[in-house]
Amino acid sequence: MRGAAVRIENLTKIYPDGTRALNGVSFSVAPGEFLIIIGLSGSGKSTLMRCINRLVDPTSGKIFVDEVEVTALPPDGLRRVRRQIGMIFQQFNLVKRSPVITNVLSGRLGYVPPAWSLYNYFPRSLREQAVAHLATVGIPEKAHTRADQLSGGQQQRVGIARALMQDPKLILADEPVASLDPATSHSVLRYVEELNRRDGITVMCSLHFLSLARRYGTRLIALKAGEIAFEGLPAEIDEQRFKEIFGEEAVEVEIA
Amino acid sequence: MGTNTETPTPRAPEVPRPGAGALRVILWLIFVGVIYVYGWQVTQINLGELGRKAYLIKPLANDLIRPDLIERRPRLQVADAGIGLDGAAAPAPLETRGPGRITLSPTQAAIGARVTVSGEDFAPSRPVDIIWFDQSGVKVQLTKASTDASGRFQAAVTVPNVIGTMHHIMAEVGLEGTTLGPSNALRLTLFRMVETVFLALMGTTMGVVLAVPLSFLGAKNLMARNPIGVFVYYVIRTVFNIARSIEPLILATVFAVWVGIGPFAGVLALGIHSIASLGKLYSEQIESIDPGPIEAITATGASMLQVVRYAVVPQIVPPFIAFTIYRWDINVRMSTVIGFVGGGGLGFLLMQYINLLQWKQAATAVWAITLVVAAMDYLSAVVREKVV
Repeated sequence: MRGAAVRIENLTKIYPDGTRALNGVSFSVAPGEFLIIIGLSGSGKSTLMRCINRLVDPTSGKIFVDEVEVTALPPDGLRRVRRQIGMIFQQFNLVKRSPVITNVLSGRLGYVPPAWSLYNYFPRSLREQAVAHLATVGIPEKAHTRADQLSGGQQQRVGIARALMQDPKLILADEPVASLDPATSHSVLRYVEELNRRDGITVMCSLHFLSLARRYGTRLIALKAGEIAFEGLPAEIDEQRFKEIFGEEAVEVEIA
Repeated sequence: MGTNTETPTPRAPEVPRPGAGALRVILWLIFVGVIYVYGWQVTQINLGELGRKAYLIKPLANDLIRPDLIERRPRLQVADAGIGLDGAAAPAPLETRGPGRITLSPTQAAIGARVTVSGEDFAPSRPVDIIWFDQSGVKVQLTKASTDASGRFQAAVTVPNVIGTMHHIMAEVGLEGTTLGPSNALRLTLFRMVETVFLALMGTTMGVVLAVPLSFLGAKNLMARNPIGVFVYYVIRTVFNIARSIEPLILATVFAVWVGIGPFAGVLALGIHSIASLGKLYSEQIESIDPGPIEAITATGASMLQVVRYAVVPQIVPPFIAFTIYRWDINVRMSTVIGFVGGGGLGFLLMQYINLLQWKQAATAVWAITLVVAAMDYLSAVVREKVV
C-alpha cells in the first residue's frame, strides 16, 4: 500500500467569532512521511487537521490529497475522500455504550451499502477483519467489551483499529496521546509508527511534547498563532530552538 | 502564564454603615408579612372548620374503610323461553341456571293476549317470579307463582305493551339462603381499571411515536446547520412549549367536547401532552450528546443517516427509555383523574359515585386508583432497573 501525498496551499481559517485560527499556511507532505505538527494550545493544530478532511471548512486556500482538491469536492466526492483518511482523536471519540467491535466496524461505514447500517449488519469477512485489526493493536480479546469499560490507552487503540478499518492512505492523529500517561503514549505512538513504516501510510500527527515529536517524526512543522514558525527535521529542533519559537513559558508545560 | 511581577494590592472590604442592613431586613420582613396575611385571607383559610365540621366528612371516612366489594345475592334457579309477537318466530332461549325448564303456550302471541307459562324440574315449594325480558334488555316482573311439591308451576300472564317482535319470558325461582359475590361496584371498577391502564398505555404510545421523530427536528445541534433547519427548530420548539403548557385536564375537556365523553378523549389529551413533554426531553437529550463520536463517524466518510445510526442513536436510546417510563408513570396517575372532565377511566366512575353520594362505591374506586398507581409505580421501577 502506498500512502497519500498532501499539499496545502495558503490555507486560512477564520471562525465566525473572528478568531483567525490559520493564516496562510502552505506545506506539502510526501507519501509515507510521519509529519509531526507541534504547537501550543490554540496554535491551530486541530483546525489544520480538521480542514484536511473538512470536518472544518476552510475560509480560503486549497488542500490536495493525492492531487484531488478536497476543498472543491461536492458531498459525495468528499465522503469518498474521507473514507481513505483515518482520524484519531485526543478524546478517542468512541461510542461509549457500543461494543468495541461495533466501534471498529464503524470505520467501514463509508464503503458498505447504507441499507446495511440500519440493521447494524456487517458481513463475516469484515467482522473478521475488525478482530484482526484489534489484534494488530494488541487487544483482540476486547472485541465484545463495551467501549467505556476500557482504559484510556485501550480506547485509543480501538480508535486506531477503527482508522485501520478504512484502509487509509493517510492518518490524521489530532493530539492522540494528550489524554494518556507517558508510558501509554509511547505504546500508542509505536502502533501508529508501525503502520507508517510497515504499510507506508502517510501520518500527520499533532503533539504537545517535543520529546515525543523528536522520537517519532520524520519531519516536523511548528505552528504558532496559525502560522508556520518552523519546518524541518525533528533533529534540527532542540529545546533552545523551541524556546526561541514559543517563548520561555512553553518550557515547563510542553517539553516534559 | 506571563511574567507575574506586580502583585495586586488587597483592597479594604467595604464596610456597610451600621443600621442600613438591618432596616432593609425589617422592610423585607414587613413586605413578606403583608403578602402572607393577604394570602391567608384570600384563600379563606379557617383551621377551626376542620374540627367543627368533622361530622360532615365522617360518613365518607367511615365508608372509605368499608368499600363496596362483595354483596349477598339471592340464590336463583332461572329458566327462559322465547316468545314471538305479531307472527314472528319465537327466539331461542337465553340464560338458564339450574335444572328447571319452562314452556309457553302459545309461543306466538300479540300484545294483550294471555300466555300460559308452565315450569317443571324446579326446586319444590319455592316462590317464582315470572319476568318479561324485553328486546332492549329491560326486565319487568309480570306475576308471581310458587312451585308445588314436585317442582312444577303454572301461571297465566298477559303480554305487556312492548315494542318489537322477539322477546323472552323468564322464571326465577328463589332458593333458600344467599350467595356471596363481587359487587356490581367492584365489577365496574375492575372494568374501568383496565380501561385506565390502557388509557395510559395508548396515550404514552401516541406520545412516543410522534415525539421521537419530532425531537430530532427540535434538536438545535442537528438543525442549526442552515436557515431552513433553524426555522423548523424554532417552530417545533414553540409548538412543544405551547402544547406542554396546556394541562391534560384542559385538553381532555376540549377533546370530550370534540370526540365525546369517554376514554378516547382521555387518550388524545394524554397523547398530546406526552408528545410535547417527551419531545422537549428527547430534544434536550439529543442536544446534550457527546459530539466526539459524531465527528469521528463523519470523518470515516459515513453518510448523514449512518452518522445518526452509529453516533447518535446509541447515545440517546437508554435515556429515551428512562424518560418514556417516567412519562408512563405520570400518565397512569393522570389517567385516574382525567375521567373527572370526561376522559373515561376510573375517574369517570369515581365522579359518578360521588355525585350520587354513593360513598361506599366511591371508596371502591378510590382504592382501585391507589392500587393501580402503586402497582404501576412498582412495575416501572422494575423495568427502569432492568433497562437503564
